[in-house]
Amino acid sequence: MLIQLTVNGETIAVEAPPDITLLDLLRDYLNLTGTKEGCAVGECGACSVIMDGRLVNSCLVLAPQADGSEIVTIEGIHAPDGGPNDLQQNFIDYGAVQCGICIPGMIMAGEALLMHNPHPTRQEIRMALAGNLCRCTGYQQIVDAIEATAKQRQGEMG
Amino acid sequence: MSHFTQPTEYVGRPARRVDALDKVMGRAKYIADYRVPGMLHARCLRSTLPHARIVRLDVTPALKVPGVRAVITSEDFVDHGLYGFPVKDKYMLAYQKVRYVGEPIAAVAADTPQAALAGVQAIVCELEPLPALFDAERALDPDAPQVGPDRTDGRHPNLKSDHMLVCKGDAESELADCPIVLDRRYFTDWQEHAYIEPEGVLAIPTPEGGILVYAPNQSPFINQGNLAMTLGLPHNLVRVIQPTVGGSFGGKDDIIYESSAQVAKLALITGRPVRMVFSREESLVASYKRDAMHMHIRLGADRDGTLRACWFRGILDSGAYASETPFTAWRASIHAMGAYRYKACDVDVYCVYTNNGYAGAFRGFGNPEVCFAVEQTVDELADMLGIDPIDLRLKNCLRLGDETAHGQKLTESMGLVECLTTVRRISDWDRKRAEYSRQTDTDKRRGIGVAIMYHGMSLGAEGADYAGATIAVLPDYSVDLTSGLTDYGTGSRTVFTLIAAEELGVRPERIRIQRPDTNTAIESGPTVASRTTVLGGNAMRAAARNLRQTLDLAAADLLRCDPQQLIRVGEAYVGPDEEAVAWEKIVDHAREMGLILSAHGKWEAPKIVWDHHHGRGTPYMAYVYGAQVAEVEVNMRTGSTQVLHIWAVHDIGKVIFPQGAYGQLYGGITQGLGYALIEQISYRNGYIQETNFESYLIPTSVDVPEITAQFVESAYSYGPYGAKNIAEPSLVPTAPAIANAIAHATGRRVRELPMNLERVLLGHDLQPPASTKPAQIALSIAPRSMPQPAGQSVVRHAAATNGRRS
Ligand code: FES
Ligand code: FES
Repeated sequence: MLIQLTVNGETIAVEAPPDITLLDLLRDYLNLTGTKEGCAVGECGACSVIMDGRLVNSCLVLAPQADGSEIVTIEGIHAPDGGPNDLQQNFIDYGAVQCGICIPGMIMAGEALLMHNPHPTRQEIRMALAGNLCRCTGYQQIVDAIEATAKQRQGEMG
Repeated sequence: MSHFTQPTEYVGRPARRVDALDKVMGRAKYIADYRVPGMLHARCLRSTLPHARIVRLDVTPALKVPGVRAVITSEDFVDHGLYGFPVKDKYMLAYQKVRYVGEPIAAVAADTPQAALAGVQAIVCELEPLPALFDAERALDPDAPQVGPDRTDGRHPNLKSDHMLVCKGDAESELADCPIVLDRRYFTDWQEHAYIEPEGVLAIPTPEGGILVYAPNQSPFINQGNLAMTLGLPHNLVRVIQPTVGGSFGGKDDIIYESSAQVAKLALITGRPVRMVFSREESLVASYKRDAMHMHIRLGADRDGTLRACWFRGILDSGAYASETPFTAWRASIHAMGAYRYKACDVDVYCVYTNNGYAGAFRGFGNPEVCFAVEQTVDELADMLGIDPIDLRLKNCLRLGDETAHGQKLTESMGLVECLTTVRRISDWDRKRAEYSRQTDTDKRRGIGVAIMYHGMSLGAEGADYAGATIAVLPDYSVDLTSGLTDYGTGSRTVFTLIAAEELGVRPERIRIQRPDTNTAIESGPTVASRTTVLGGNAMRAAARNLRQTLDLAAADLLRCDPQQLIRVGEAYVGPDEEAVAWEKIVDHAREMGLILSAHGKWEAPKIVWDHHHGRGTPYMAYVYGAQVAEVEVNMRTGSTQVLHIWAVHDIGKVIFPQGAYGQLYGGITQGLGYALIEQISYRNGYIQETNFESYLIPTSVDVPEITAQFVESAYSYGPYGAKNIAEPSLVPTAPAIANAIAHATGRRVRELPMNLERVLLGHDLQPPASTKPAQIALSIAPRSMPQPAGQSVVRHAAATNGRRS
């Protein structure tokens, strides 16, 4: 079936079977492989994307359900010059990255949190990441990076 | 040694991970992200029985399935694909028998993942059940079903390793003479690595009849050797490249070698690239785990708390194949008595075959298991004698100049006492210990517990210990590195970059480190045992020094002075006339002189001697040390334990890449916390019960508390800049520290891992009924989608906005 959606600001129409997931659509049909598959059952968050302003596990969304929606993936997160944005830079600066497989999902979760809660406490950051598993970092430096970004963005606004 | 005190420019200073940018942008490519024209998809038929004879295996119906291009069995490999180190007991595809649920029997390559599954389902495979063995403690009974291969030496075929011994004095008579003896049994359960990237391999046949394999393995050279051996190819026709790896923790060795051989063979037969990617379910069922371990410890002491004797027996249930568990058993034996002084010691550890999956390498490698036992027993002794647990440890723990239970004199780099005293101070131990000891609240109780550990560096007596590295200046003045030791998320690429920058006197941004590739890197032994910083770091340091010598000669020639007269200002060289000359100019001049701007370096660890028969000697060149304190709150109604905080102080020698070292420590502690409280792989009659993350729980961001970490940098003279290592030791003391905190809170000891609700609350298990279903469903999960040729069927419209945030 024909699925039309906006991905990272680009309007796209793609012919795909109705029984695949949004994750499959992104990875296999749109070649956006920055979004990862870690479990395919909604437990790990590696497949996190922002759909109409909400963080979702794209492995739990059927592709037809995404018809007409607006999707942001990790490929859509960057600074205007194409380099890392402030959150991504803080992930680098705070040592939040190890093997990296969870990191696209973590960045999406971080962006989604900061969209809705620009002043999160560390505990609120931890709650927001609870659906994103990381086996390498112990989360601490990821929390540091998101916390620092929130503070910087507040500073910019103030 | 003077170089420890010399100030460093890059080593030990704040630095960024060299591969972080690609990872935060979503650009790093993992196996599942690779897409090659003409690529086929592979899948394995796997055993649904824990122990069986293969009575019929007919793949011809599979070959008739539309889209199926090739099917292989053990017949397609040299010697049926027999491989394994240190015990050759496993086949790339099962031969004659299967010994665990999930063992691969045949592999299919097809145009689509769906066709590959249809092919697997079409294979005619008749399995005749054999009596199976699930109880490790009965594995050596005369009438136990035989799981291991036949042996000719008269020993029990289910004995997988020798008895690993440590012997000092006469422990039995010393114990008989001790006024206090604790006699305790412990059990630690299987643990899954749970790397977030499941297994995958891509093989591409080469024009000269060889094979190129992209494999997220830890040790590409071992993979290359296995491939050459089982495919019957010369080494120079087998090339293994390690792409970005999504976590490993010891887990991506044998299982990846096996998948590599399968896809390589399929690629050679079809002449097309072949990729195999596991689902999470297939990963959990098929992959090896941390062994389960049954332990019995007797600890003898005087009334004043002086430890006198340790007697320890351990049996590792390591399942159907050896993988690396004989080495695990050895490391467990060396560390079984803990980091203490004894008059006498008697340790005997061995591993056995069963039909419970199989075990292999996992971060810590036997030490987390034994540390759980000995550190709880020591703690219990402190409780019994009314001595503070840290005081008791300070009284008995190894110090500089002491001799270990093995007979090794500790002559340098010993920071254990400082770890303990520091962790005591930063955790506010004395106040909390006193306060929680007075608690009367019955619903929620807090406790604080400590554990210490030591961990032998690198391979020790496991094998030859060496590494190599190369360095070269490229035409654009960038510096190119290779190492035979790899980075699967650990940060070693950054460590090598910083060391090369330090020695060469150039900025890290100028340096690029290649992906590990058997064609360009120097074979360096396996990337295991937390050996990469010391072994690979020393090799890189040697390589960079060799190149530096060449550049110094060129600079001296250009500046008309002795090399000794040169000084460096930033990257530039300055001679006696005090004019700074850019590094690029020196490179140009070296080339004009005809000097070759590449070098390599090798480093070999100091020789050590271990007498396996008498359990005496020098098992490791040196040790790292650590102490952790955990503070917990136990809900006395539900048995649930919340870890409130962890303080960790580790002596890892000089810290080279601080951000990375802290990350390793936080991550290791988190795996230790999971091991302590929630992670459990249960084999029931050989069937794994946990086949995805909804049943195999690993710690989330809300399960992990804030961690306060600190390093003691007690320099090691053989380490690069005095460095030791961190990856494995980080998780070793976490579970016993939490166990000791639970005991402090509740007054009850939990002697089994994981310390789940029922064990904490009731002191025993509530076993849910066993099921064969999860594993069976896991093996038949259908793929939903497949990679499409790029650009096909996609209509793109002009971008409305570019980038989400500005
Ligand atoms: S892949 Fe979607 S949550 Fe794990
Ligand atoms: S960085 Fe490896 S899983 Fe998070």
